[in-house]
Amino acid sequence: MPTISIKKKDLESLIGISFPLNDLEHHLQLVKGELKGYEAGTDELKIELSDSNRPDLWCCEGIARQIKGKLTGAWRDYEFFYSNGCDRAGEIIVSEEMNKIRPYAGGFIATGITVDEEMLVQMIQTQEKISEIFGSKRRRISIGIYNLAKINFPVHYKAVGPEDIRFIPLGFDEKMSLQEILEKHPKGQIYGEILKGMPKYPILVDSKDSVLSFPPIINSREVGEVKVGDSELFIEVTGLDIRLVLLVLNILAVNLHDRGAKIDMVSVEYPYDTEFGRSISIPYEFAEHASLSISDTERVIGESLKVEEITSLLDSYGHWVRMEGDMIHVTPPPYRDDIMHPVDLCEDIAISRGYGNFQAVMPAQMTVGALSEIEKFSDRIRGYMVGAGFQEIISNILTSKEDNLYKMGIEMERVIEVDNIMSQSYSVLRHWILPSLLRVESASSESFYPHRIFESGEVAVYDESGNLSSSTIVKCATLISHHTANFSEVHSILETLMYYLQMDYRLVPGDHPSFIDGRMGWIQTGENVIGLIGEIHPGVLTAWEIHAPCSAFEIDIDKVLSLYQN
Amino acid sequence: MIQEDLNSMVESLHPLEINILFVFEAGKAVDDNLLIKEASIEQSQKDMAIGWLLAKGILSVTGETVARSVVLTEAGERYFDLKIPELRIFQSIKANPDYSMSDVKGRDDIEPAEISSAVGLLKEKGIIKVAAGGRLEMGDGSLISGFEDIQRLISIVREKREISLTDLSENEQSVIEGLHRKRGKSRGIFRVNEKTDRTYALTDLGTNIHTAVLQKGRPVEEISQLTPQMLKDGSWEGKSFRKYNIGLPPPRITPGRKHPYKEFLDNVKYKFVAMGFEEMRGGLVENEFWNMDALYMPQFHPARDIHDVYYVKEPASSKEIEEPFKSRVSDAHYSGGDTGSRGWKYHFDIEKAKRLMLRSQGTAVSARTLAGNPKIPGKYFSIARCFRYEQVDATHAQDFFQIEGIVLGDDINFRTLLGLLELFALEIAKAKEIEFLPAYFPFTEPSVELHVKHPKLGWMELGGAGIFRPEVTIPLGVNVPVIAWGLGLDRMAMVALDIHDIRDLFSGDLDMIRTKRVQWR
Repeated sequence: MPTISIKKKDLESLIGISFPLNDLEHHLQLVKGELKGYEAGTDELKIELSDSNRPDLWCCEGIARQIKGKLTGAWRDYEFFYSNGCDRAGEIIVSEEMNKIRPYAGGFIATGITVDEEMLVQMIQTQEKISEIFGSKRRRISIGIYNLAKINFPVHYKAVGPEDIRFIPLGFDEKMSLQEILEKHPKGQIYGEILKGMPKYPILVDSKDSVLSFPPIINSREVGEVKVGDSELFIEVTGLDIRLVLLVLNILAVNLHDRGAKIDMVSVEYPYDTEFGRSISIPYEFAEHASLSISDTERVIGESLKVEEITSLLDSYGHWVRMEGDMIHVTPPPYRDDIMHPVDLCEDIAISRGYGNFQAVMPAQMTVGALSEIEKFSDRIRGYMVGAGFQEIISNILTSKEDNLYKMGIEMERVIEVDNIMSQSYSVLRHWILPSLLRVESASSESFYPHRIFESGEVAVYDESGNLSSSTIVKCATLISHHTANFSEVHSILETLMYYLQMDYRLVPGDHPSFIDGRMGWIQTGENVIGLIGEIHPGVLTAWEIHAPCSAFEIDIDKVLSLYQN
Repeated sequence: MIQEDLNSMVESLHPLEINILFVFEAGKAVDDNLLIKEASIEQSQKDMAIGWLLAKGILSVTGETVARSVVLTEAGERYFDLKIPELRIFQSIKANPDYSMSDVKGRDDIEPAEISSAVGLLKEKGIIKVAAGGRLEMGDGSLISGFEDIQRLISIVREKREISLTDLSENEQSVIEGLHRKRGKSRGIFRVNEKTDRTYALTDLGTNIHTAVLQKGRPVEEISQLTPQMLKDGSWEGKSFRKYNIGLPPPRITPGRKHPYKEFLDNVKYKFVAMGFEEMRGGLVENEFWNMDALYMPQFHPARDIHDVYYVKEPASSKEIEEPFKSRVSDAHYSGGDTGSRGWKYHFDIEKAKRLMLRSQGTAVSARTLAGNPKIPGKYFSIARCFRYEQVDATHAQDFFQIEGIVLGDDINFRTLLGLLELFALEIAKAKEIEFLPAYFPFTEPSVELHVKHPKLGWMELGGAGIFRPEVTIPLGVNVPVIAWGLGLDRMAMVALDIHDIRDLFSGDLDMIRTKRVQWR
């Protein structure tokens, strides 16, 4: 989740209190924030915010708002959410065809401030963090900020063909068509994917046909560039989900309001139905009321709290609270849309109270501990192998075809392959253990001989019949390497292991490309093949750059266990 | 040299060394043969003891002679019984006028390689001739005496087993030298062994030591190795045992042993069992449904991207999503279903839920357990191998273990969650100082991060936990509160193993694996 840079002084001036860094670090618990660093020279704080459902906290204003409420109890009245609190100052008209392209748009107007350097930096950071992370790289949400003086309302949100309109985008000096922007503009190259396959593209133009922006790609240089000193702004958000569009606009509005701006309403007219009707005045208070009972609350937090205490904890955390008998009715603030279930409010109560103020108690109910059967069986085998003088190995499971197949002399075998490969070295799940042991041999020719090693671990094998087309099983491989390592030596180990496992087995001569012809066998119990044994083929040793003979066996522990249990 | 040093040198002499010194007299040189005879010890013991005495500067080498002796090779032994091939072929020709080259080739007592050289030699000397059709005729038969000389020499050497070259006549010596040249070393009849004989004398230091040793007299017979025979016949009684220098380093062995990281993980596993947790297991390959959807992570969640997890190539999707979980979970995402939640409010894509991937979090195992009729009350843990789409470096391995689990019960709430974490801190990290911080996980509410003061690492995040959202538990059929917890133990493992690169936990370097020890403190 996002890490943001803010100025400590800016934060303190928004809260109205200054405090030492330690106290600040403590207060950051209220916003699930972690202080990552502080640069005294530039006064810059780096803060990581962990709650991906609270984009209102991903900015200096939001952090200040949450801390200030708790410390001072003073909450701003965001009157502009109610039509009598502000003037209707503009209109956005959405055209019918947007419903299939990028259905939702909205905006508001902020006046009465002067944009300074720090404010501009913070505005851009908030815009980026929200549209990149919360907006899934602008797909679900993109944000545009404009100099109001250059816009003539109403603004039209409509669809145009790739070559129908030309304008000068930010960062360029010449007019370009939308198609050219997608191809040549760096932002077009990054975000063009969002519009891929669409016959027409979204555009925002004012009543005099001057282009505001080409959402979600780029603003126009003429209208869509905010500079230090500007005092009247138009803020617009487009996206795929009306709730997200309104939420983000609400967050941006309270942010500007917290910095002293007057917020004026913009109404959006849709030719189609939305969750909130065809005509929406923005900022729009759409928070859903939530209710929880005091007993439910107590059951979740494990503490019985007085009604007044619950009320005050929720209130100082930003909620409007009304008590009615055993029920607590809550209206979350308009910049939050993350209360999906009463448990979300329980957490707010706990955070507002401070986790440190809860007394930990042990769960009292008795349970019996146990390892799984396969783990116990694997541990038993590990015990025998260690007793037989073998060093245990543990290896990565995500490896390569090269290691699993080709170096083993196998041309083709079905393995579990990764689709989005980052590196060929990590592109398949191992389906047997022996390559993992040869990897050790390959890296250890300088290590004191003899080498007697084993690994018991998970592998994934292709399994056509299974729902997931694979099964995860435990296999154990054992390998001996020294100047005269041979079949009979490793056979003795298998014999000993099987003796203690009380498993009758026999070796059936076979062919396997990893082993020397005539010195390889399938390990069988009854008709079940449970493993294989042999002297490793010199071609395989050469492929692994191993300089000493190796003999090895591998058994399928899951299969042995199932036979064992029968 | 001061007397004390001299005494300590004398004291530390090995019985073999003392035996050897008794053969010496001041100013007189002694050679190897004499040493073996007089000191009545084995060649190898003599070599060892002489080596020590030379290294200590007690003896010096005064002369060196090389003695050469002759023995029969394997072929020579064979020719003693069969006679050399030349004589055998000659006899046959003499006895049979029609004897031909093909008859020679048909013999099974002469190897093909021997035939060409033997026939060639006989021909070269003019003893036989090759006539038309490969028939072999007699030449000057008297010249065969040269080969009879060789046969005789074989008998002489055979009798003595080994004979000094100087004990042979000049003629015989030249026969041996000649054969050595002609036949080469590999198929020769005789082998000439060279042995270096040295003579030694006491050095000045040695003379002093020698005097002291003579004064001390021969040591009483000491037992070096107690044998079963001694125990049987009681011959050890009344004898003393040679004292060992027990300060010497012992020889190296390579024992059977658990892998140190597995040893660490085993300890963690036993801890959980001891705390009443039952182990649960899952597959390395999962579908998105069990890895994420069942955990109420919305399908548009930022961590569900192609750049966050590994997807499976073929087949790309699982065959089905099990009911009733498919319907219940998709309802929970869309409208909350019957969980009391309002849901994420989006249309759930079943096809996306079917997408196969490499398990990216151990919580997937917990989700499966919840759906599989878990015990109530119940405590579960798993040590699950997980995969993330991350660049492999010193802090990221291509696969890693997540230690995760759940606790189900009527008495589960935020305070018992904290109680459980306190227990983990003490039992797993031996940490008494702890702090709980608010945290965010998509599947728990309330959520908490556990920070502990580790004895070596200082304050660190030990894990995250929370109470599963009802949107997770109710669709999976669980109607009691459930704690979900996860611990990050890799840093602790790295401290315990003194490793600084996470990839070394899975190192292929056998030397490193054999020598790493687990620091339990």
